[in-house]
Amino acid sequence: MGIEIETRLSEQIARYLDLAASEAKLTAANMANIDTPGYRAVGMDFEAEMQGALNGVDQGQAARQVQVRAVQGLVARPDGNNVSMDREGLNLAEAQLKFKTGVALLREEYQRVMDAIHADK
Amino acid sequence: MNLFGLMETSGGAMQAERMRAEVVAANMANAETTRTASGGPYRRQEIVFAANQGDPGFLDSISAASGGGLSGSLAQAALPTLSLPGAPTAAPGVHVAQVVEDSSPPLKRYDPGHPDAGPDGYVSYPDINPLTEMVDLMGATRAYGLNGSAVQAEKGMITAALEIAKP
Repeated sequence: MGIEIETRLSEQIARYLDLAASEAKLTAANMANIDTPGYRAVGMDFEAEMQGALNGVDQGQAARQVQVRAVQGLVARPDGNNVSMDREGLNLAEAQLKFKTGVALLREEYQRVMDAIHADK
Repeated sequence: MNLFGLMETSGGAMQAERMRAEVVAANMANAETTRTASGGPYRRQEIVFAANQGDPGFLDSISAASGGGLSGSLAQAALPTLSLPGAPTAAPGVHVAQVVEDSSPPLKRYDPGHPDAGPDGYVSYPDINPLTEMVDLMGATRAYGLNGSAVQAEKGMITAALEIAKP
């Protein structure tokens, strides 16, 4: 029985962290453009991306580019900008929590490998 | 995925918002200025933001998603003296595309004793409304704070990522 340093789970968590960081990046871009005339808020379908990433891990594919899409159903201001401060603030908090969750899980997973390495002591 | 690029985005936005606040301050300071280097009264300045062109792949998908309306004429009109260094090619944030002068006619006030009074006794004052400026300043402050808290959050994420390696 082999236990690898890079387990399937750690690979999956790594993709999860990447997606959380992508989400934070999109949110930061939206926040930065809160006063840019004509800017439309962008976002991503986290669940679909995560599903794709899980399939990608199983099939040994490299991480793919996140599909960025315009967010629907936001109210645009007269200057054509539809970024909402509250929505972006919430999204950033959510992305941050997702990221921290992923970090905690990854730590746990690496600790497991560490324990296996030190099992004889 | 580069987490530091995130901070660049938010940091650039803070820089742009601070410039907006500076322009507002200049407008309020010059509300009564009747003499400028180019002659005539001071003219109200206004800042124009434009979305950045970030790394090509990411930005293609962003501008495709937002209707491609971001990379238009505004981005090309950057003032060399006022645009942020290297901003248009940096992170997918924002940059100051232009500082435009308000073209509305100056206010005329009758004051024949004023050295800048015209032959009819009227002095041209800049058309600056303190209310407009205060509202603009409030918007700049709020957006600055929003991006500041984004930096805070990103710092938290980077610190958390450092925890992975800790035993």
